[in-house]
Amino acid sequence: MAAASLPAWRRLQPGARTLRAFSTAASPTTLPGNPRPSTTERTSRFDRPPRRKALPPRTEKMAVDQDWPSVYPVAAPFKPSAVPLPVRMGYPVKMGVPMAKEGNLELLKIPNFLHLTPVAIKKHCEALKDFCTEWPAALDSDEKCEKHFPIEIDTADYVSAGPSIRNPKARVVTLRKTEDWEKNKTEADMEEYIWTNSSSEKNILETLLQIKAAEKNLEVTKEELLGTKEIEDYKKCVVSLKNEGDSENTLSQYKDSVKRLLNLT
Amino acid sequence: MLKGVTRLVSRVHKLDPGHFLRLGTQAPQSLAAHLDNQVSFESPRAISCTSENDPAKHEEKHEGQHYNLPLQDMKTIFPHGLPPRYAMQMKTFNEACLMVRKPALELLHYLKNTNFAHPAVRYVLYGEKGTGKTLSLCHIIHFCAKQDWLILHIPDAHLWVKDCRDLLQSSYNKQRFDQPLEASVWLKNFKTTNERFLNQIKIQEKYVWNKRESIEKGSSLGEVVEQGITRVRNATDAVGIVLKELKRQSSLGIFHLLVAVDGVNALWGRTTLKREDKSPIAAEELALIHNLRKMVKNDWNGGAIVMTLSQTGSLFKPRKAYLPQELLGKEGFDALDPFIPILVGNYNPKEFESCIQYYLENSWLQHEKAHTEEGKKELLFLSNGNPGQLERLCAYL
Repeated sequence: MAAASLPAWRRLQPGARTLRAFSTAASPTTLPGNPRPSTTERTSRFDRPPRRKALPPRTEKMAVDQDWPSVYPVAAPFKPSAVPLPVRMGYPVKMGVPMAKEGNLELLKIPNFLHLTPVAIKKHCEALKDFCTEWPAALDSDEKCEKHFPIEIDTADYVSAGPSIRNPKARVVTLRKTEDWEKNKTEADMEEYIWTNSSSEKNILETLLQIKAAEKNLEVTKEELLGTKEIEDYKKCVVSLKNEGDSENTLSQYKDSVKRLLNLT
Repeated sequence: MLKGVTRLVSRVHKLDPGHFLRLGTQAPQSLAAHLDNQVSFESPRAISCTSENDPAKHEEKHEGQHYNLPLQDMKTIFPHGLPPRYAMQMKTFNEACLMVRKPALELLHYLKNTNFAHPAVRYVLYGEKGTGKTLSLCHIIHFCAKQDWLILHIPDAHLWVKDCRDLLQSSYNKQRFDQPLEASVWLKNFKTTNERFLNQIKIQEKYVWNKRESIEKGSSLGEVVEQGITRVRNATDAVGIVLKELKRQSSLGIFHLLVAVDGVNALWGRTTLKREDKSPIAAEELALIHNLRKMVKNDWNGGAIVMTLSQTGSLFKPRKAYLPQELLGKEGFDALDPFIPILVGNYNPKEFESCIQYYLENSWLQHEKAHTEEGKKELLFLSNGNPGQLERLCAYL
């Protein structure tokens, strides 16, 4: 009878708080009206003052249209006596159902957002409005925002079902901003190969222009050359060669495209 | 005993059912000069050799077969530039036979259809170690020599970026360095190869060597080369002049120019040369390299540029590297772009069989199991069809 002995033990210590009643089952009563004995003497069970009856849970007193944010104003653990929902959680035994909310450790362990209902959030926003100013009317387009406030920080939040509320991907924060010195980024710094304005483009254009000059076909301009299908193909091959590295595949594609460009059979 | 019988049989030119005979070269080995004109009267059943000795006529049907290069020509066309092991083999067998293979055939096809009015096309032979890139290049050079092109052959560009003893500061450009020894050696070989052109080509500008010596406009290229050979100090500048003039004049159409560079990745790599204060020299500070880089640019027409990539002599590159971008690096690739990459691979079964037959016929393989099927399979497995490896293996047998 552990349940009965525990309250008796507690009562022996003066100033100790009573345990919260975890069950609504009534605890064994003692004779009412017994005076508190002195701490030095052992008391019998009947000399002890009566234990307070466990009060009915708060849920029974809740109205349907009550003010929920006042029940859970801040983040607090799950209190089964304060949450009027018949929640069940846990793995059921054979031919059973999940455990009820009273005394349910599973419900205690998980994080709950009972303090963040839409009503509560609306109240927060209303309260915060007093501290906010108007959005400046001049910043009505994205370009203006970027021009005046070039720094952008991207954060990401993730929602998923799982044992943990943490998601390591949420720690990634991107800072987007172009500094003046970034314009001096040279070709050696580039992360990937960009074909426009590269030496490869220059080479191929020079070669083709010379070929055309040899064939007395001087009306062709650079832009026209750039637009032809062979050059597009060649560009793709060179970019793939540079970005992905050499392989039989990329090299043979490059070879074919060069052959087509230079009109070799 | 069987080998003695073979030799006897071959002397009388009879068809021996047990062994294939080679065509065209059964005369006593000392008369190499007549090899070209000899009519083949042996049976055409030989699979390892063909009688077609003119590279211009080589086609797909000759693939896998060896053709004979006359030794006289070898001395003129290849005073330098043969791989050392091949040169040893040539000396041993007393003849030079090259196998006709697909990459060379492909290149020959392109070269035959070259449009000399267009800028020179660059071809790059690449492949793993020992697959036959240098010998393919030699095949191409033989073809071009037969077609009367001017051959500008740099046997191994790696020799110019490492282990050079005397480095002089260039008189032409103070920032650059001269390599007199290498330059004069190369000029000698260049003269041997292209003797007949040297008097025909006239330089179009006046070059001043120093206060007392200069060379006038209109004198022949031969004189420039002579000057370079005799005055070793000016050899590098002589090479520079030769390259410049050839580039300029090939566009005029007087001759066709073949630029053949072996180990072209040396041009854009690191060097092991250091100045007196032990600071390293970059490749472009060497005058020879600088001029050669200008030569392989495609801003001239009237010829072609054929190059091979080689890891063998290269500096600071891993042994397994054979792909163009790995060996050329970014700078090299950008300089050579656009080029046609041609892969030279290991032997296919037909070529392998042909090579083994060739060795057997020359009595190079003395092991009794060498001509059996299992022996061949073992050799194929050990060498993986790699020509260089196979040659090294057979040297022990």
